[in-house]
Amino acid sequence: MGMEQVWLLPAIPAGIFVVIALFSRILPRGGDWLAILGLITVTVLGVLVLIDFQGSFTGGHFDAHGNNVFAFDWIRVADDFFAIEFSTFVDAIAVTMIVVVSIVALMVMVYSVGYMHGEARYGWYFALLSFFTAAMLTLVVSGNMILLYLAWEGVGLASYLLIGFYWERRTAAEAAKKAFITTRIGDVGLLIGIILLWRATGSFDIQTIIEAARAGAIGETYLTVSMILLFAGAAGKSAQFPLHVWLPDAMEGPTPVSALIHAATMVVAGVYLVARFSPVYAEVLIARDVVLYIGLLTALMAATMGLVESDIKRVLAYSTVSQLGFMFVALGVGSVTAAMFHLFTHAFFKSLLFLGSGSVIHATEQQTVEQLGGLRRKLPLTATTFTIGSLALAGVPIFAGFFSKDEILLETLKGAPLAAYVALAFTAALTALYTTRLVVLTFFGEPRNRHAHEHAHEAPTSMAGPLVLLAALATVAGFVALDGVGKALGFAGGFGELVFLEEGHHFKLDPAVAFGATAASLVAIALGWAYWSGAAERAARARRWAPELHALLVNRYYLDNLYQAAIDRVVLGLARVVAWFDKRIINETGVDGGAQTIGYFGLRLKFLQTGRIPNYALAMAVGLAAIALLAFGTQ
Amino acid sequence: MLDRLPLPSQFDRIIVQGSIVAGMLGTPILVVLLALLLLSRISAPEFVFWLDATVVIAGALGAVLLRNIVHAALALIATLLGVAGIFLLLANEFIALVQVLVYGGGVTILLLFGLMLTNAQDEPVVSDGSQKPFAFGVAVIIGGLFIAAVIDANWGARVPAVVSFTAFGERLFRDFLIPVILIAILLDIALSGAFVNARRSRDEDEMAPTGGEARS
Amino acid sequence: MIPMENFLLLSAVLFAIGFYGVLARRSAILILISVELMLAGVAINFVTFATYLDSQAFSGAIFALFVITVAAAEVGLALGIVLRIFRERQTANVDEVDTLKW
Repeated sequence: MGMEQVWLLPAIPAGIFVVIALFSRILPRGGDWLAILGLITVTVLGVLVLIDFQGSFTGGHFDAHGNNVFAFDWIRVADDFFAIEFSTFVDAIAVTMIVVVSIVALMVMVYSVGYMHGEARYGWYFALLSFFTAAMLTLVVSGNMILLYLAWEGVGLASYLLIGFYWERRTAAEAAKKAFITTRIGDVGLLIGIILLWRATGSFDIQTIIEAARAGAIGETYLTVSMILLFAGAAGKSAQFPLHVWLPDAMEGPTPVSALIHAATMVVAGVYLVARFSPVYAEVLIARDVVLYIGLLTALMAATMGLVESDIKRVLAYSTVSQLGFMFVALGVGSVTAAMFHLFTHAFFKSLLFLGSGSVIHATEQQTVEQLGGLRRKLPLTATTFTIGSLALAGVPIFAGFFSKDEILLETLKGAPLAAYVALAFTAALTALYTTRLVVLTFFGEPRNRHAHEHAHEAPTSMAGPLVLLAALATVAGFVALDGVGKALGFAGGFGELVFLEEGHHFKLDPAVAFGATAASLVAIALGWAYWSGAAERAARARRWAPELHALLVNRYYLDNLYQAAIDRVVLGLARVVAWFDKRIINETGVDGGAQTIGYFGLRLKFLQTGRIPNYALAMAVGLAAIALLAFGTQ
Repeated sequence: MLDRLPLPSQFDRIIVQGSIVAGMLGTPILVVLLALLLLSRISAPEFVFWLDATVVIAGALGAVLLRNIVHAALALIATLLGVAGIFLLLANEFIALVQVLVYGGGVTILLLFGLMLTNAQDEPVVSDGSQKPFAFGVAVIIGGLFIAAVIDANWGARVPAVVSFTAFGERLFRDFLIPVILIAILLDIALSGAFVNARRSRDEDEMAPTGGEARS
Repeated sequence: MIPMENFLLLSAVLFAIGFYGVLARRSAILILISVELMLAGVAINFVTFATYLDSQAFSGAIFALFVITVAAAEVGLALGIVLRIFRERQTANVDEVDTLKW
């Protein structure tokens, strides 16, 4: 199994999707074992690809160690004028993504066996997870923009179907629609960007496009516009401002789905896309600045919103949005290493947090933090793993998040204005604060809902296993940044030696930055602990302290209202105009009018039909005579 | 039913009247033709042809123009027999025989029966349709076109051949065997269809078992 | 020795007369009679050509035979239909049968 057979990775779950979707009623246990077996295979194969890749690894991700494998022609018009090939491409970024996707997907599937036990449409759920995995892996290994776009929409579809998995619930159906439509707005940008790039280079092949752009074959303004449009697609998928509104609502789906799709894998597709094109973004600094500041704004906004949200899953969703903002900031300052590293660690600790929250919800049937509390004694394992994930998210040293967040802060300090660094550092501190709030309100203090608390029970093994594994990964994943660890695993060096833009990057802690960030985090944690661990009423004090600010945050900066108003006024107004036009002009004047005109003539002309055969015979004879005359005359 | 047939006296009258009309029309033509023959302007076959053609055309006109249906049917008989004569002139005795047997015998009798079973007895005189002028125009155009086409074409001096019975039979039953069989089947089906179509259906019988007798 | 054109002209005239009859007559029976006239004209045409132009094969004559046969079948069938119509509507006039109209 080498890089040439990488197409097998998406092919296996795709086949399993078809089998389960068709036969889930016949298969024992709805076919979940088939999906898990397939994912184990995929994970093993992914690791084999990684080994093969690091064996042939020579240098920067843009250069020769990328491997573009032609699979087959899809469309080929006039030789190379318009060619779409199915080709796979493996580089350091893709390998990182393969490992992340396959491991997290496997964990989530195993967890789902316990979590979704006894649900209706159990088999369909696993079919969808397989479908999602197939689409995501296609997206990751695609060497071609069209194939990438196809997979891009495929994961969007999977996300839509899984958010709306409980479609009997109105909110779930609405959330699914919202997610689909919002990401579609970005996808239009992506599609336009793809077409623009094709127009400039005549190719859909990603490497060809990147080479052409780096060689200066595309005008700078043109390239800037194309790259910003690509980023629009990425922002839609990765829930960046102003298209971030769908992700919190996406929590209507089953919790394991939130862990897999809306935390660890699908939402980082945007990061992946921008990282893929980072050599080009390095050429157009305006587009890169757009990425940087959008990411920064999103990170800050989402963190503040996470501070007041009371739904445990939504807090995590805001956290995800915020962390994705961090990744975009890293890309915005040109550090693929930091962005991919954070993606790597974030996938583990965020899916851990989501699975932990799923465990809490599974145990208590509650997901509002006001109704929880004191669960650490009832759910010791969940509490421990959740706390580990939280520490990683908060950026406490030795946990995975510390390394990657520190890397991003360092790069920001080096590559961006100081104000951006300060804002980002502040956001990191806010992260620690809301994380502490979440942990304290959920697991510490006194139970607020006696009934839910008393019926709480620890999760079954199939759910606990992934939690423990992911907790371990969330603890140690950060160490791959260190050279020694990387060498011990058989790589050339640490993570920075594997994924980089121009030249290898040796990880080293900047003492000032690291100390500052750690101190800020610890202070924030201490503050949060002091504030929220007390009596329940204290949690409500924030509202009295600054009611306007609180209302602003709880209402998500009124962005949803703004969008709703915009849709009501502009879109519906336009729709009314169009509907009027359709009703009056098209339908009543055009269609009905035409029909009425014809009907009128029919009413008048029907008297031509006497029903008497001699008349018909005469008409026929006249026609015959005319034709005969004509034939004789022209002869 | 029998009393709906034309009485022999009526037939006599029709035949006598028809003969008088035919004689009055035909005699001048006959005289002219005889004169031409005696003056050697036309040959004997041509004389016969023109005589025959007179019968055919006159009969056809009678069939189309006469207001009495029975008279028209009788005029048709004259035409069909005249056409048989034309076939004889064309040296094809077999077709002429068939023409006499099938048309003169079968078809005409069938037509007369149809007349009797419908409205011949009650209202023998009928009026024509209202589109006569148009019909006349179209017929003139079509006929004119045919005539023009015939005159226009250069046929050369063609010599008629005599078709013997034997040759005709060989050709018909050897080369055209399958069409003959098909025609036979067609006839069979057509007659069955005519029978099924024309006979009273069962419920009609039950509803009006005495209707026919009451009307007669 | 009769010129070929004579026969052809006769058949054309016969055909035209029959044509007129089909269009002008009201009674279904008379229309049938007119159709017979047209068929006779066609048969004359066939036999003429067979005799004058195709003396070896004389396929036209055989076709004339078929025409006569088919005409017989047609008359039988048509009379059946006419009888049926007469029984249903007490008329054999085609212009009184106009249920096809609007």
